[in-house]
Amino acid sequence: MTATVPAPAARRVFGVLGKKAVVPWLFLAPGLLLALVFKFWPMAKGIWLSFFDVRPFLGDQWIGLDNYTRVLADHRFQDAIGHTLVLGLGQSLGAILLGFALALLLEGQARSLKILRTAVFLPAVTATAVVGELWRLMYYPTSDGLLNSGLHLLGLGPVQFLDNPDIALYSTMAMGIWIWAPYNMVILLAGLAGVDRSLYEAAAMDGVSLWQRLRYITLPAIRPALMIVLTLATIRGLRVFTEVYVLTGGGPAGSTDVWMTRAYTLGFTRNDIGGASAASVVLLCVTLLLTVMVNYLRKRGEAR
Amino acid sequence: MRDRRRSRRPAALLAAAALAFGTAACGSGSGSARNDDPNTLEVWTRSNPDPAATYERVFAAFTKKTGIKIDYQPVINFDQQLQSRASTKDLPDVMINDTALMGSYQGQGLLKPIDPASIAGHDQITGKTWSSTVGIDGKHYGIPYSRQAQTLMIRKDWLQKLGLKAPTTWQEMLSVAKAFATEDPDGDGKADTYGMVVPGSAQNGYAAWWGASFLWQGGAQIIEPDGKGTYRAAMDSAAAVHTVTWMKDNLFCGDNGVTQPGALTAVTSTATNFQDGNAGMYMTGPYNIATFDTTPGKDKYEVVPAPAGPAGADVLADGENIYFGARTGKTKQEQALAAFLISPEGQKLAMTGKNQPVVRIPVNSTLDAAKVRDDARWSVVQKAYEDASQQFPNAPDFAPIKQDTADALNAIFTYCGGDVRSQLGELNETLAGDLKDQDLLT
Amino acid sequence: MSAPVIDPVRPTAPDTPAGRSTKAQRTTPARFDTALGWNDKPSLAWALRILLCLIALAVFAAPFLTIFSGAFTPNPSGSSLSFLPHDSTLLNFKVAGERGIWDYLGNSLVIAGGGLLLQLVVCTLAAYALARHRFRGQALIMMLFMMTLMLPEEVIAIPLSLVLGDVPVVHLDLKGTVWGVILPLGAWGFSVMMLTEFMRDIPTEIEEAARLDGVGELRMLWQVVLPLCKPALGVAGVLGFIMIWDQYLLPLIAAKDPTDYTVTVALSILRTDPEVGSGVVLAGAVIALIPSLIVYLLLQRSLVTGIAAGATKG
Repeated sequence: MTATVPAPAARRVFGVLGKKAVVPWLFLAPGLLLALVFKFWPMAKGIWLSFFDVRPFLGDQWIGLDNYTRVLADHRFQDAIGHTLVLGLGQSLGAILLGFALALLLEGQARSLKILRTAVFLPAVTATAVVGELWRLMYYPTSDGLLNSGLHLLGLGPVQFLDNPDIALYSTMAMGIWIWAPYNMVILLAGLAGVDRSLYEAAAMDGVSLWQRLRYITLPAIRPALMIVLTLATIRGLRVFTEVYVLTGGGPAGSTDVWMTRAYTLGFTRNDIGGASAASVVLLCVTLLLTVMVNYLRKRGEAR
Repeated sequence: MRDRRRSRRPAALLAAAALAFGTAACGSGSGSARNDDPNTLEVWTRSNPDPAATYERVFAAFTKKTGIKIDYQPVINFDQQLQSRASTKDLPDVMINDTALMGSYQGQGLLKPIDPASIAGHDQITGKTWSSTVGIDGKHYGIPYSRQAQTLMIRKDWLQKLGLKAPTTWQEMLSVAKAFATEDPDGDGKADTYGMVVPGSAQNGYAAWWGASFLWQGGAQIIEPDGKGTYRAAMDSAAAVHTVTWMKDNLFCGDNGVTQPGALTAVTSTATNFQDGNAGMYMTGPYNIATFDTTPGKDKYEVVPAPAGPAGADVLADGENIYFGARTGKTKQEQALAAFLISPEGQKLAMTGKNQPVVRIPVNSTLDAAKVRDDARWSVVQKAYEDASQQFPNAPDFAPIKQDTADALNAIFTYCGGDVRSQLGELNETLAGDLKDQDLLT
Repeated sequence: MSAPVIDPVRPTAPDTPAGRSTKAQRTTPARFDTALGWNDKPSLAWALRILLCLIALAVFAAPFLTIFSGAFTPNPSGSSLSFLPHDSTLLNFKVAGERGIWDYLGNSLVIAGGGLLLQLVVCTLAAYALARHRFRGQALIMMLFMMTLMLPEEVIAIPLSLVLGDVPVVHLDLKGTVWGVILPLGAWGFSVMMLTEFMRDIPTEIEEAARLDGVGELRMLWQVVLPLCKPALGVAGVLGFIMIWDQYLLPLIAAKDPTDYTVTVALSILRTDPEVGSGVVLAGAVIALIPSLIVYLLLQRSLVTGIAAGATKG
């Protein structure tokens, strides 16, 4: 990268502003450039489209906020808000807690642990569509189904995991936690690996309890990993889509419909690209707001 | 001021660096896909690689015969790719895609109107088939290419074992379904069989796609033309209420096992119970015949016409049309290709071969599907198409209408306590709204 | 991830596993090696751990037996589960091969290899600037990178397709080349964010000492900072690979021809192919998940082999 900088110009810039000011931008350059061309530019166009009646061939028609009012007034989108919050929140928190538990359980150097960690990581490396089919089989609603045969042994009747509109959302949540917990586990394991071992030793000498050790040594030390997992959950939680799409497709009777499945239906089965863009922009704004809030809370926490 | 300059300078340097990187990395980037050679047609189909091989064969035969070259592109995410090409105002010359998309494409101005008389061999396509390509303004916007109609696939061996006959009415179908569910037709001593397979999810409009045949048979319509070029929503009719109530009471909220477990969230790729040998009936399209010949096995099932409802035995028909992209300026070559594709030769090529066929029921009326394929079961499908089938109305953009209908049907079948009449009334209002959006409401 | 031989500027940071096992283990017993202080010796806690591990195994891994068994069964039922194949066969793999899965796998490997390399380099550079430098607009840049994660890719599909067909300014057509898939994956907000978080945690003392020795920026990153955030690099490698491997829409948009498809696309094609059964789909799924698993196995050590005690916290 640096090789292409014309030498005299560079010397002048360095001379006037100081090398220090330029360096970070040089390091950021490749990333920003790729993001600009392949992310921000298409993104800006996508946002732009949300103000149009999109007809690529005849020419798009400016309709202002019509797409937004249409989406926000649609009762199916309104119903989806509740499902999105429940699913996004439940799935994210569940996956963080379970991922943390897994990381604590499987931390260590032994060979058996390596094999275990690899096995537990399987859900994260499998195509989500295949995972969806796997769970449809596990949720099979007769006593032949894996989960139902287990319940049968306990004397409980077959549960309609996916076809009962009161249960389907929670069934989807369970699958989501199952997919994302190993993902979080890996991040948290990397955090645990960085904890200073001598602190544990010192703690043992002071005779602190296991809980205190976790609370006052481990948790502060894995702060970066925790922040990543939390931020990721904030960004991904409300965007939940694939899990629903492969398992229930939003059904039955729209009981698992989330914001993005609605937007997808709008864009892809109803060919309403403007409306789908508007729905996505709304989601983007909410996510952005949430992320800024999380960041703010964290800065305040750090300042304390 | 100082700060702003600080950030702008490096940006310029970066651009230079990136340019160097970009050209170095992708110097081999090929030229544009668009072909301006008047003797080459760009043709798109929405196909997976295997059926695409069949198309390749058909196009090769065409090129050999006419000297017109084909730049063929099978596309999976067809509509996305088409939209992005549309925004460059440069469409493919010829597209082969679902009949149901015609209204949507025409509404977006993507299609060239077609005069049937300009296509050689147009008289070998029946008037009924041609009528399905008439757009809102009365002009044709597609050339029929392949058609299919739903038929009932039913387990022959199960019928024999239980001493039953293939059903010809809804009532008979229901009692066969109940017998399949309760009388252990597979003889394993377990209650693990079901009457019929239903892809009842609202996803991609499946519930409406599967349910349409029942609606036709019950004498109901989703939307109706009023003869003045506009439409009215028709899902609040007495026939619709009666039909949907019958389906709900008997198939979804009646005895267990009439439909397969999980029907309400099933789409065609997850509704595999017929293949798996635990469901005895499936109302579906003929493209499944190849699959079912492997499992459950060719000798185990038969293809029969759909059982009749109170208003007849009409089933849903659909298929693919040939569309000409608007403003492409190669009309003569496009017409030559279309003429070849609908000719007996072109249709036969597309129905045979080692890859998946791309023509199911030929639109060319001189051909007999059963003879071409040497398989008598196809005559059941062809007869169903010719004598007892209805397509979705293709002139309006039917996609939103189908999706809303599917949403409503799925909800009605899920909540057994609901009031069908009022739920269908709500659907009807939604459909009227969809029509209004297209300026097609009476 | 080309694992270069890293020559730490400060020899006091024994980051290699060898250094760790000889030095750290001698001074600290195993029970100080994990947050919960797991012990190798049989005890109540030990038994509890084994029990919990078995449960985790059953919950997370056992369902996959059905995928594997289905892949080796001639006609697996789509509506019931079995943990062992009925009569095992390689037929499903043969059919998947006839449908071109090996070619698609080749495409995927090229894209995943190139994409991951680019992504790691680009994201590491960006993270280094964000974590170890102070400049105006820092928070904004971070937010921009995070925004790349927020907008669903379906929404940007059509504009992106146009960009790939004709890249602004340089006017290149990337469609039909692997660059069309690789370049858009270069800047991944998640990797940037994660590497930044981990790099921030490195004490400034180490960096300042190196700076006094006259170490330049690139060498600082390569020889001082990177060795200290190996676990984060490992995570970026594993999760980046999976993210690239799972791309479905992007390879479709960037493809000019079915021969450009990847194994993830091929898998979805198999699922909708009326002529192949679920056994073939499962065989495809097994083929598709193996490379990610190998990458995980390869990088696993960097995930859990921490930096030796005391080295980072100065």
